[in-house]
This record gives sequence, structure tokens and C-alpha cells, in this order.
Amino acid sequence: MQYSRDKNLLLTVFFLFWLPVVLFFALDHRLLSQVRPALFWFNRDLAELTLIGIGLPRWMIDHPASFAAMDGLAVLLPIILLRSAIRNKRFSSALGWIFTVFLVLYILLADIFWQVHLEPFVIYWLLSLAFLTNSERRFYGILRICRYYFLYIFVSAAIWKIARGAVFNGQEMSDILLRHQGYLLAGDCDTWTCRFCSWLIDHPGPAQTLYIAAAVLEAFFLIGFFTRRYDRLLIALAVLFVVADLVVMRIPYWTLLVGTVTLWIGSDVRRPAIVIYETTHHENLPALLDLCETRFPRVIVFLKESSWQNLSGGQSPSDRWPRTEFIRQPAGSRNRPFIRSLFSFIRRHHCSHLHLSTLDNNLLVFALRIAMAGNVHISLTVHEVNAWFRDSFRSVRKLSESLAKRFLRRRVRHYTVFLPAIADHFRQRMPDAVTVFIPSRFYMGPSPRGAALPLTIVVPGSVEANRRDYESVAAFFETWRPARPVRLILLGDSDSPYGSAIVARFARLESSEFLFTSYKGYIPERLYEQKLREADLIWSPLRVHKTGGHDEPETYGLTTASGLTADLLLNNIPALVPAEFGLPEPFRKALLPYSSMEDIARLIDIGRQAGLRGDIDKAFVFFRKENFFDAFDRLTSPDYPGQKG
Amino acid sequence: MKGLFICFIVLQIGLDLAHSVTFFPFTHYGMFSAVEPRPDSVLVYKIVADGRRLQPADFTIYRWDMVQTPLEAYDKQTATHDYAFDKDRLQQGMRWAGAGSLYSALKTNLDNTGDFPSWYKSYLGGLLGHRIGSLRVEKAWYRWQDGRLLPIGKESWINL
Repeated sequence: MQYSRDKNLLLTVFFLFWLPVVLFFALDHRLLSQVRPALFWFNRDLAELTLIGIGLPRWMIDHPASFAAMDGLAVLLPIILLRSAIRNKRFSSALGWIFTVFLVLYILLADIFWQVHLEPFVIYWLLSLAFLTNSERRFYGILRICRYYFLYIFVSAAIWKIARGAVFNGQEMSDILLRHQGYLLAGDCDTWTCRFCSWLIDHPGPAQTLYIAAAVLEAFFLIGFFTRRYDRLLIALAVLFVVADLVVMRIPYWTLLVGTVTLWIGSDVRRPAIVIYETTHHENLPALLDLCETRFPRVIVFLKESSWQNLSGGQSPSDRWPRTEFIRQPAGSRNRPFIRSLFSFIRRHHCSHLHLSTLDNNLLVFALRIAMAGNVHISLTVHEVNAWFRDSFRSVRKLSESLAKRFLRRRVRHYTVFLPAIADHFRQRMPDAVTVFIPSRFYMGPSPRGAALPLTIVVPGSVEANRRDYESVAAFFETWRPARPVRLILLGDSDSPYGSAIVARFARLESSEFLFTSYKGYIPERLYEQKLREADLIWSPLRVHKTGGHDEPETYGLTTASGLTADLLLNNIPALVPAEFGLPEPFRKALLPYSSMEDIARLIDIGRQAGLRGDIDKAFVFFRKENFFDAFDRLTSPDYPGQKG
Repeated sequence: MKGLFICFIVLQIGLDLAHSVTFFPFTHYGMFSAVEPRPDSVLVYKIVADGRRLQPADFTIYRWDMVQTPLEAYDKQTATHDYAFDKDRLQQGMRWAGAGSLYSALKTNLDNTGDFPSWYKSYLGGLLGHRIGSLRVEKAWYRWQDGRLLPIGKESWINL
């Protein structure tokens, strides 16, 4: 993938330079057929002298149609080469040889007939050698040589300036300008370039400062022989050099910039390491971390301090995932500097993968950072499918988010979701992307149970009206007369007007037969998991159709997943769910779907049957890490084609 | 691959040391590194086509280059008697290499026979986009003084 991408990039850049070179030859009346020379010039180049010696220039002067033929080939050959490479997805070495030999010939003839100056075109010829091979090793070998040659061009100029003492000659730059800009200075000199040139000639100090600055800039390319770390900077310096050359010396040396492609390709060779970014949905990280530790030599997680504290209920995250580095965002610190440090880390360590486990906010920041992140492989966990695809322009924030999403949807082609049905739905919306289902966590087997009295029903999740229907739960307990004591635990933050009202309603029912527990604020993961372990039954009164975090309608089980999918896999406890909430087969064994109050009472009895937990345990064996290696490999492999591919 | 690259660099350095001679793809990248004393005069070719003097401001950089460069090249060619020194060195070199007869066979290919002034007039017409009736090229010498170039002499060179 990387190889074919680099090949395409080289082809694109090369011909984006070469074809304009020919175009500008035509515009500036420099095509051989436009020049139709009558004489040829000696430039003390042995290759040119050989051509002159064998009589080619003389023959061409005698046969002017040959000039048009050469110009025609200068345009046609690249097009044929390009077409062949695109069509066959490989280079034709025969065409490559023809083009390479032609290129040398054309450049030498252009120098013989109208003094093109060979220097910037050597890199074109060297780069064209890459079109001769379909071997990845040789391709990168040639590019490496071209890169060294490009660096050498600048370093050589710096060395000569120093070795010949030009940088130490205080008049050097003034003299160069006087010698080479005479035609400009001899005229009316009413342009700013002429006046600037005159000023520099009369002020050798500033002029020489420019010269020394140019030499220092050229010398800086020496660093490229020792490290690729500064290649992007060197590209910027090459552009700066060309611009300065144009402004000060009136030399349009832009053709040389084709060599910057050698600094670009491979400048971001990445080391296998996956960086995960997570904000608050830490409950979905465990499976991903288990897989990352199996598949990557280095795993780094950027997450909030609170997420780290609650990532693993039973033990410290560092103990559970010993090969993972956790970089924590201190409580109260700003998000953007943390995001900046994330991308800075990826750049400094040349990490190969970035997985965005949650992307709720700062979408534009992420889009811009990702745009500048080079070829890092990016994958994303989608929590709400509709929100991901829906663009809105109702406010500045929505507009920026929509623009960011448009970019991200093009850039990010690998997705993970928490349910197979969501994956199917996502694939319909984005058929050419790779979309896999990976659960929030893997099933570790049943936890040991304590005393079974009283009957404990846990309703997990924050107490809010949008997501869950607590009224129906309250209505049930207000009428239900159980045969034994019952304990109800609202296992979520109820610190809201709605939550308080619900809690008050249950509190009124409290008696020796009905024990009630509720919480305010965030529940630490250890306590959360402990309370779930104590449950005989989970009750998830989901509102299947809800409004998502981005005000988009979402459907639980189809476009978004509830925390229930993560909760279920902590143990083998059955869960009461509304009948319209559909989960696929491995989960289904744990579900007790209800559509009426009568159903609930009956299902509570079924849920307490001893055999059910054993059945759930057997079904949940599906959620072993080994069963998701393939999905994870597809998620993290750039070579894996999309569903269409 | 590495060996080839080392050979390339060695040859490149060799060519660098050979100063004025190159052998494509081994060229010099000195980029204005020669230390020369300030010129006492500056030569400028003054071109007048159909009575109008051509000025750099009227052309793009590359087009002006194409106005000037052929004149410089022709001036060099005539000054060197069609590169007599280069041909002489080539002959010596080929004789030394035992290819003296080859040089004799190829010698005629080295000589220019074209008529530069008429070609230049025709080419300039193409560059300007119309046929040129009269063309005059002068060599003019200037001296840098008081922040500008002052003319110190001129010579009529091409007159068609």
C-alpha cells in the first residue's frame, strides 16, 4: 500500500513538474521546434560533446522536422508512461528506459541549442530511473540516491562558497549582482527589482549578509545526510531558497523543486506503535487495549485522568496492561494543549497508528492536525452513526464540525463499532470503508457470587430521561408485590432535577421488603463493577429511539450502542430490556425482552433460574479476544481493502 | 546500489575538481561561488528591433533570457573561433586515447556553419510575435558609478 502510494506520488509529482516544464518551454518560445537553431554551442560537457561529435546537432539543423518530433515526444512519452503505469498498476520497464534515455537526450540537446542549463535537470533524470523498476527495494533505493543527490546540490553550493572564499569576500554579492544584472541596470531602472539591485550593489554589507544567509541555508542541507528528521524543514528551506533566488537574482529555479519529493517520500517512515485517544468513554477501551497489546510492540494511550482512574475496576490499568504507556490529562487542564501533545508525540516518535476511541469535540482541531499528520494510519470508534454522517450548518460550531467531518470521512477509512448491526448499518452508509465490530470488553468468565439475598436488580447508567424510561421502572415497583425482599440499585449519577425526582419516587417505596440505593456524581469503576457483580438481574429500560449527543436521532442497537453491551460482558447476568431493543445472537442469550408489566414479573422469575447463567456463560465464550484478531487486523491494516475493494 | 552511489559521488567529486568540464549527469553546483574582482566594465547587448529598443521589463524572465543568451553564446563562439581551444584539447585527448582517426572522422561534425544573425532575427521575430524588418545589436560597455551604470563605449555588432 505504502509502496504503491509512494509510486503514485512520485509519478504525480514528477509529471506535475515535467509537463509544466515543457509547457513553459512552449510559452517562452524555447521548444526546439520554436528555436529551430542554426548553430550549436559548446558547453564543455563531455556528454554534449559526444552528441556533437557523432553529428546529431548538425543532422537536426539540416532536418528541422526532427525538432518538432523531439518536442512531440517530450509530451507524448510521459503521457504514455503515465497511462501505462495507471492502467497496469506497475511500471513498464521498456517505456521507462525509452523515457529515461529520451529525457537525457532532450535535455542535452536543449543545452546544446539554447543553453537550458543542465543542473536542475539532473534530478529529473535520476528520478526517472525509478520508473525502470517494479521492485519495491530498488524503487526506494533509487529514491534514496535521488534524495542524497538533492541534498548534495545544496551542500555542494555551500562547500564551494566556503572553499573558494566567496563567503569571506565582503564584496562578493555586490559584484555578482553587478556582473549578472547589467542588462537590468543599464535601462531606466524604474522597477523595484532594479532599484533593490542597485541598492544592494551600493551596500555590500547587507548584500553579503544575504549571500552568507544563502550559504548557511545551503549548508543546512548537510543534516539530511545524517537524519531524515528535518526533511520537511528542508523542503521549506528549498522553497525559500527558490523564492529568494527569484527575488534577488531573478533566477526562476523552480524546476529544481521536483527534488523535494525525495524529502517527502519516506520522510515519515513509521514505527509500529498505536496511539489511542480517549476522553470519557473509557468503558469501551479494555477490548481495544487487549488487542493492541497483542498486535503492537508499543501502545500509548492519551486519556483523561478520570478515565485512567476508572479504566479497570479490579486493578490498576498499568498492572492490567503492563506494556501500555498511559499519558494522562490532568483534571481541569485544557483539551487543546493535550491534543497538541498527542500529535506532537505521534510526530516525534513516528508512530504508525492513531486510533480515536472517542471523537466528540474539537473536530476541527483534529481535522487540521490529522491533515498535517502525514501517513499515519487512522481509525475511529463511532459511537453515534447518524451524528457521524449528518452535516448541519445551523451554528458556527455545527458548521465547523460539519466541515471537519467532511474532511475526516474522506481521510479516515477504518472504523470500529460496538455491535454487528451497527457495523452493517455503517457499511451501507460508507461501503468503501473498513468497518469492524469489536466489543467494548472481552468476556472473562463469571465472577464469584456472594449471598443471594435479597433479590438484587441493578439499573445501570446515568439517570436521565432521554436515554432510559425510569418511569416504567418506578411504575412497576409501585405495583409489584415480590415474594421475597428486593434491592433496587440505580447505578448511575442521579444528580439532576429529573434524577432527584426519580430517586424521591423510589425512596417513597422503601421498606424492609424494598431496599433502594442511588448515587450522586460519577461512580468509581471499582464500585460500579462490584455493584454489577452483586446483581441477580440487570434492568436496562432503554428508550430505543433517543436523541444523540449531537442532537441527532439515534437508535440503540442500530446506530448507537448503550453501555449495556459493556456491562453485560462483565459477568453472566441476565438483563431485562424493552422488546424493541434488538441485540445479536451472542448477546441475545442474556436478554429478557419485555413489552408489558406482566412480562417483567414473569421474566424476573426466569432470570433467577440457575441454568440461565450457565447458558449465558457458554454463549459469551464467543467474546474471547482470539475471535476478534481478524477484525482488529482489518481495522489496523492499511492494506486491507474496504468492503467494495 | 550503495556501491553505485559511492561511484557516483567519487565521479562527481572528480568532475568538481576538473572545474570547467562536466559530464552529464555530473555537473557543478557552485551557484555563484567564484571569487572574481569587481568588473571595471559591464557588457550589455543593446537590441533594437524595428527601431524599438528591447527592454527586460517588456519580457518575462525566461523570454528575456532567450533574447540575451543566444547573443552571449554567439559572442563566445566568435571570440573562441568556434571553440578552437576546446576542439584542440579534444583532438589531443583522443589522440592520447588512441582514437586520433576517430577524431578526424568526426571533425566536421564539430564545426558550426550556420548564419547566426539571420537566425537570430528570425527567432526574435517569433519571440516578439511578428516579423522583424530591421535589427541592430550593439555591444555597450558601462561602468558602475554613483549608484548607476554609466555608458563608457559601444560597438555596432549585428545590423540587418
